[in-house]
Parts: sequence; C-alpha cells; structure tokens
Amino acid sequence: MTRDEQLTRLIRLTVNGKTHSLPVEPHWTLSKVLRNDCGHTGPKEACDEGACGACTVLINGVATPSCMVLAVEQEGKDIETIEGLSRDGKTHPIQEAWLEEYGAQCGFCSPGMIMTTKELLTKNPNPTTDEIKEALGGNICICSNYEHIINAVRSAARKMAKEQTNV
Amino acid sequence: MFKTNALGKAVRQKDGRPRVTGEAKFYADVILPNMLQTRILRSPYPAADIVSIDTSEAEALEGVRLVMTYKNFPKAFRDTLYYVGDLVAAVIADDATIAEEARELIKVEYTRKKFVLSLEEAIKPGSPQVFDGVENCHDWEFHYTMSDRDPETRLFKTKTQTEYNAFGDIEKGFAEADVIVEQKDIKYAYCKSPAMEPRGCTANFDGNKLNVYTHSQGLHDEKLCLAQALGIDARMLNYISPYTGSSFGGKNAFPLDRNIASHYLMIAGLATLELKKPVHCGYSREEEMLCGWSRGTIGDVKIGFKKDGTLTTMDFFHWQEAGSGGDKYPPKNAILATGSVLYSRNCEHQRSRIRYVHTNRFCCGGWQGYGVPEGTYAVETTMDIAAEQMGMDPVEIRKMNCMRAGDVDSGWDPLSYKSCYISSSGIRDCLDAGAKHVDWKNKWQHPSKKTDRVRSGMGVAIFAMAAGRPGPGNSSEAMVKIYPDGSAALVSAIADIGQGQHTVQTQIVADVLNIPYEKVGIVCHDTDSTPFATLVAGSCATWIQGWATYGAAMDAKRQILDLAADKLNVPADELTMDEHGIHVTDDKDKQITFSDAFGVRGHYGGTHEVIGYHVHNSPHSSGHKDGKKDEIYIPKEKGAQFITLDVDTETGIISNVHVIMAQNVGKALNPKIVEGQLLGSRHGVENALLANDCIVDKRNGWLMTPNWVDYRHTTALDCDVTPLVIEKPGDPSHPLGATACGEGAACPTLAAFSNALFNAIGVRILETPFTPEKILTALGKIQARGRKK
Repeated sequence: MTRDEQLTRLIRLTVNGKTHSLPVEPHWTLSKVLRNDCGHTGPKEACDEGACGACTVLINGVATPSCMVLAVEQEGKDIETIEGLSRDGKTHPIQEAWLEEYGAQCGFCSPGMIMTTKELLTKNPNPTTDEIKEALGGNICICSNYEHIINAVRSAARKMAKEQTNV
Repeated sequence: MFKTNALGKAVRQKDGRPRVTGEAKFYADVILPNMLQTRILRSPYPAADIVSIDTSEAEALEGVRLVMTYKNFPKAFRDTLYYVGDLVAAVIADDATIAEEARELIKVEYTRKKFVLSLEEAIKPGSPQVFDGVENCHDWEFHYTMSDRDPETRLFKTKTQTEYNAFGDIEKGFAEADVIVEQKDIKYAYCKSPAMEPRGCTANFDGNKLNVYTHSQGLHDEKLCLAQALGIDARMLNYISPYTGSSFGGKNAFPLDRNIASHYLMIAGLATLELKKPVHCGYSREEEMLCGWSRGTIGDVKIGFKKDGTLTTMDFFHWQEAGSGGDKYPPKNAILATGSVLYSRNCEHQRSRIRYVHTNRFCCGGWQGYGVPEGTYAVETTMDIAAEQMGMDPVEIRKMNCMRAGDVDSGWDPLSYKSCYISSSGIRDCLDAGAKHVDWKNKWQHPSKKTDRVRSGMGVAIFAMAAGRPGPGNSSEAMVKIYPDGSAALVSAIADIGQGQHTVQTQIVADVLNIPYEKVGIVCHDTDSTPFATLVAGSCATWIQGWATYGAAMDAKRQILDLAADKLNVPADELTMDEHGIHVTDDKDKQITFSDAFGVRGHYGGTHEVIGYHVHNSPHSSGHKDGKKDEIYIPKEKGAQFITLDVDTETGIISNVHVIMAQNVGKALNPKIVEGQLLGSRHGVENALLANDCIVDKRNGWLMTPNWVDYRHTTALDCDVTPLVIEKPGDPSHPLGATACGEGAACPTLAAFSNALFNAIGVRILETPFTPEKILTALGKIQARGRKK
C-alpha cells in the first residue's frame, strides 16, 4: 500500500444538502476538507485554534469553528456553510441585513459571523443586545465593526420574523 | 460642482454581496490544481549564525519538490538570523503534511550570539548589537530646526538639519513658563499589527508570466518591487488582489527589504519560477505573531504653560522599538502629537527628538496611526497630568490649545515642506460633541471624590493624524469607462481593505456622471487590468484617489458630451448628462441616448467605450492657499475621544468600557462607512485593556503570546463604541470637502483610556497594557513583582 492508501479513509460528508464521498486523512480538520476538497472556501482559516470564529459552520444546526473538529468525525451530520445560505442566487435575510447595515467591512469574518447569527436566530428569534453579544462572543471582527454587526443581527431578526408571518 | 445624489448617503457596499455570501475569493481561496504547499523553518534563536545546514534528508523525502536555503536562494534567505522566527529554510512539497515532515529533517547547526530583547536594554551603552558594528539606537535622519518665521504668513522660511525637530527657543520657553509639567517613561508595550487574514500568496506560472494572488494595500508598487527582487521583468508579473482580509498597514509588502516579513512573496515567487508549478505560501497565526509588524515606544514629555493654561513650550523625547529592521518612518509621526501640529495653536517653542532602536525581535512597521498613537499616548497623558496639576478641566485645556484651521503645521513633512497650513480642524467641535454625549459637565468628578469599591472614570484625548500625503511623489490614477448602454465602470487599483474605498470611489463616479450608483461598476482585480493607484495608507485614499477618480470621471463625461454635441449639433457646454442619456440643458426634449451618442458600431469598428483618465499628482493646486505654490494646505485626520469605564479596586478588573469617538470629516461621503471607521477605536482598547503585549521569554527570546488566545482581540463583549461623525464644511483641499477618516480612531485611545483609568482610581499607570496586576500594584493592594533593573 502507498503512504496515501495507508492514511486515507473514505468518508461521506453532507454539506449544504449535497453528499460528498471523500478520501481524508484522520488528522484533517473539517475546515481544511471543506475548503480544499468540497470547494467551499466561504469558511475562512485565520487562527487555527477556535479563537476567531472565521471558519464557523453549522453542524446539525450548532455553530462550530470548523478548524476545531476533524472531518472524519462528521459522517452522518448535516453541515451548512455560508454557501448554503443563499439559494438560487437569492440572498438570505441575514445576508440582506448585513448588506443594509454595512455588517461587512473587509468581509473576512462575515461568513463565520453570519453562520453564528443563523444559529442564534433559529434558537432565539428575538434576542436582546446582550444575547446577541454573547452569541457573537466567539467571532472576532478585526475591523471592529461590532455596532454595525449587532444592528445587522437585529435587522435580520425582524426580516426573518416578517418572513415567518408571511408564510 | 455637481449635484450629489449617491454621495452623502449610506449606499450599499459596492462589492458587498460577495463578502457576505462567501463568493469573495481572498488569495487563500484560490486553490489551483496541483498546487504545492510551503512550510518554513524559522529561527529558534534571537541572534545566531548558521554554521551549516544539511537538507539532504528532507530533499530525499517523497513528495518534496524543493528545499530553499541561503545556499541555493540567497535572494530570499541569509545565514545570519536576527529574531526568533527569522527565516532559515523553506520546504516546497506536494502537500502540507509532507512539507512539515521534511522540515523536521533539515539539520542546522547554529552559532548563538548575544541578543537584546527590550527597548530599555537596547538603549543602554554596551548592549549587544542587533546588526554587527551598528549602534542599536539611531536618531531619525531628517530632523530639522525651522526658523526665520515670516511675520505675515507665519510660515517658516528656513530649515536647518539638526539633532532635533524644533522651532523657537526651548530654554527660553521653559524659563518664561509659569507652570512646567514633566512626565518621563510613558511606555507603550510592543504590540502586534492586527489583520484577520494571515499573510501569504499563491504564485502560478501560466507559461507566459508569473501570476501572484495575494492581499495588498498598493498593488502596483508591490508588483514592481517584487519583480525587481525576483530579478524578472515587470512585464512578466501580474499581481492579483481583488480582496484583502483587513490590513491596517501591517500587511504592506516590501519584498526588497529582507528585514520585513514579506518573505512569502519571495519564497513562492522563486519556487514557482524554479518549478513552473503553482506554489502556495501562507503564514499560520503563529507565524503571523512571530514575524508580523509591531510597535512599542517610550516617551518623555515636558510642557510649559502660562498661568491661564496656554501651552507655549513642549519638549518631547521618543524612543521607538524598531525590532530587527523595519520601517524607520513611523517614529517621526509621533511629532504630530506635539506643538508642531496638534498643539500648534499657541506653542512657540518646540523640540522633538525621535529615535528608533533595534532589538532582536520581529520588525516594527507603520500600521494604524503610523506612529501617531504612540506620540499621542505620551503627550495626551501628560496633558491630563497638566490639567490635574493646574486644576483645569481636561476638556477646556485642550480646547484652549488644540490646532485650528489655518494654524501652521511644522511637523508632518519637513522633508518636502518647511511648514504649511492645517486645512481644517474642528477638534473643538469634536470635544464639545463628545463632552455633551457623556454629559462631562455634570458627570466628571475628581478622583479624590471616589471612594466606592467600583469606581467610574471618564477620560478624554485628542489627536491629529497625517492624512492625504500631500508631498511630491504622491499620486494616484484612475480610468472611468462609459459604455453605450449608459453604465460606467471605475478602473482603479485602489485597494478596498475594508475601509470602503470601492464604494466611495464609485459613489464619486456616479455623481460626477449624474447616473445612479447601481449603474457604476468597479474593475479592481490585478495590475494587468488597472492603472497605478496609491498605497492605501495614511488614510489617504479618499483624498488622493478621490481626486484621481473625480478627474477621470470628469474626463469621461467631457468625452461623452463631445460625442453628443456632434450628433445634436449643440455645444458640449450646453449639454447635461443623466441616466437616460444626454440632453440640452435648457431643453429636455432635445436629447440623445447613450447608444446614439456613441454612433454605429460593430465587430469591425465604431466607438465601444469612452475612457476617461486622470493622474492626480500631489500637491493639487486647490491645496495652494490663494493660488500660492509655497503656501500649502495640508489635510489632517483629527478628532476627540472620550472613554468611560468602571474599575473594581479589589480585583483590578476594568469593565463597562465605552468609547465615544468624534471626528470631523468635513463631508461624510458615506456616513455608514465613516461610522465603521470610527469603530476602529477598539484597536486602542485592545492594547490598553486586553493585556496585549508581545511578552518575550528573556532567557531565550521566545514569544510567549504567539496566538489569539494569549494575545486577544476585542469581541462584541469587550467594549462599546459610539461614533460621532462631525461634518464641518470648508476644507479646501478636496473636491468634495471630505478629509481623511480611517486609522485615526485608534490614535487617541491609549491616552483616553489611561486618563479615564486615572480619573477612576486617582493613580497614574504609565505602562500599557493596564492589567489588573498593574492596577492593584498602583493602588497598593499587592506588592510589585521584583524586577531586575
């Protein structure tokens, strides 16, 4: 067996509703596999130790830094990245809110910040400012754009509530 | 002038959608087939020579394509090492795992040398020299004394090179002063420039040329420097940077300077030229911390006042740790905080001595504030001490002495000018706005009145930041295209690093052309497709590039009106352009569509686009006072910051930090972007509050905070910032009355924080970061830790 064959294991990874069959090495992180093997470069790698939140994705609905979990352990789980948020070219209300409130400056933290927001608003559709700050506490925006981001989360909550009413 | 429509409004970010959908491709998102990976072997010693290096085992490992050292790539590597993290070797391999394994197989024998790890030690006579035979401590080489002041213009007519930057007579000033306030050893810990996206690049040879995907604040100059450093023609290199994941100056690349951490460009560039395969070289967070740009200073300030609080004299000594090399210019910008600029109103005697000091640490470079935060911290802390000693209101003493529009700046650019005029200030308005917001008048209390366990404090500081770089040699260019369908595009290399330049510049195009903002696109992808644009540094882009964009849009508009004039048989100056086409100004019915103005076109010919072009060279004639070339207005970024906070005197923990940042921007071209820039005050809070200090193990030079867990950045939980955007019209130096707004927000923060802390606890702490340990020590609650002096 070659070195690659010894090390790799074939896994099935469900990302944004699509199942990928991938050979991965046991030490590969989910962020590495998403970016290099699934073509999802939305999650960003900035600290490699779960300190910044730029690589945040939802795993079974829970916002998780994808640099802190191994890809081999994600079989059978439902993974959602920023790319899964806009469907058929239409942006998600959270993304719309981000655009309206100038939630992104450089935009490097936005994919992670937005996915954290999605978990928050799914579980708590009408969060207080303190609850928003706490939820976003693991996501660093080095442009320091937090006031705009908090406004965007509030605005997204309103948009999503409206969508619910309209359904 | 023209009617503003998009300008002044918070229109959506021009390239916002890709940033929030994950579609934006930052350099590391460009993953090319068969791309090789790099791992760098870095120095474990702060000072050493490489005696021997054996790469044979590493090279023999399957999957290794190249091992680079000083032997085979002397352009990028050297055999003398100056800091922990300095370059030793690089492995290029099929994947990162193989590269890491191979790196372990490189055998290096070092000769360790004596080293010096702190500013204080490096200044001392006889301390180990970072660069053999070169003193660690250097005066800034462009100190000038200004003299021969013109009584009418108040400008200085003569400059003489001296060991100080000075004017007036410092001895006389202090002899005549009623009150002298002096504070020494105000220390700003060695801090790291912030950036979310780690440094790196991917180079790819496409058969014709080298394409380098990276992040950039100034594409064209970096490209030319890289071509020169690699030893290839400029025509052979395309430099690509559509997005930059934040950079506050710290990610500027200087491939020609081996002391500055742009090594990724040389490593990937040389390896790609050698292997003719794509090579990715990106830094990990630890590498960022080990070799990214830093800064740290010690300042001594002495100020002379009249009894009524008028500041007449200032003496300023400033030492900046420059690490092992780096940019020599930031230290001199500390002068902006002195009587040469910020306190130029009443100051008659000023002396500044700026020194930069080498240590065996990663280099210092210019980032957010470019030297101004360090100077402002020292001066504005001393001003607060002065207010306390003289029993004056800290806001009033600043209002009395701060620079105003038309005052003389003799500190920003003595290289190009002896002195010049400050084009606008508004600092007093900012002080008023901030004071009102925090209810300073009613809520400010002397620290002696505070006795509770948790004590609230309130502090203020002002700043002036050089902005606009008006000296000769500063320029920017733009192309504006108009298409037959009535849409337009700005073609420009102006980097949007998060500060919103792509939005603001296209707003300018939309309004000059009188078409909707949505009809204007941007081409800002690489050097092959754009003309030169200035480095976005010194918060100058709205200013320098704004002129270029404005000029190019005017040029394009002139051309389309000329085309329409021919068809309508009406002089161009009687025509107006709008989103529907071109019409006679006084007769809207007499109009022509864009398509008809362009005329017949097809595969074989015709006019397919109108291209306006403009080069803006500083200084612009509108910056000349009354049209006189030797009397120049220089713009500033300026404002006032207030900080309120609570201190627990039993634990030393600071909480409820609230920053109120007020800046006069002349005209906010996009209010939300401007507000976003003011939120950047947090970078100062990080350096004050979050124990941000590149702590080094004194025994071996190792960095003890090489990650974002031990070296923290602010989150949404750490503090609040309220931006107060002041728009005081009348700055003559910009076509739209805008002045700079960007990095300034962090300039006054350390001082405002320090002053708020003093106001809470009544004890002055002179060394950042303001940790619970320092606070409890200052309060006498715990014993100071023994330190070897």
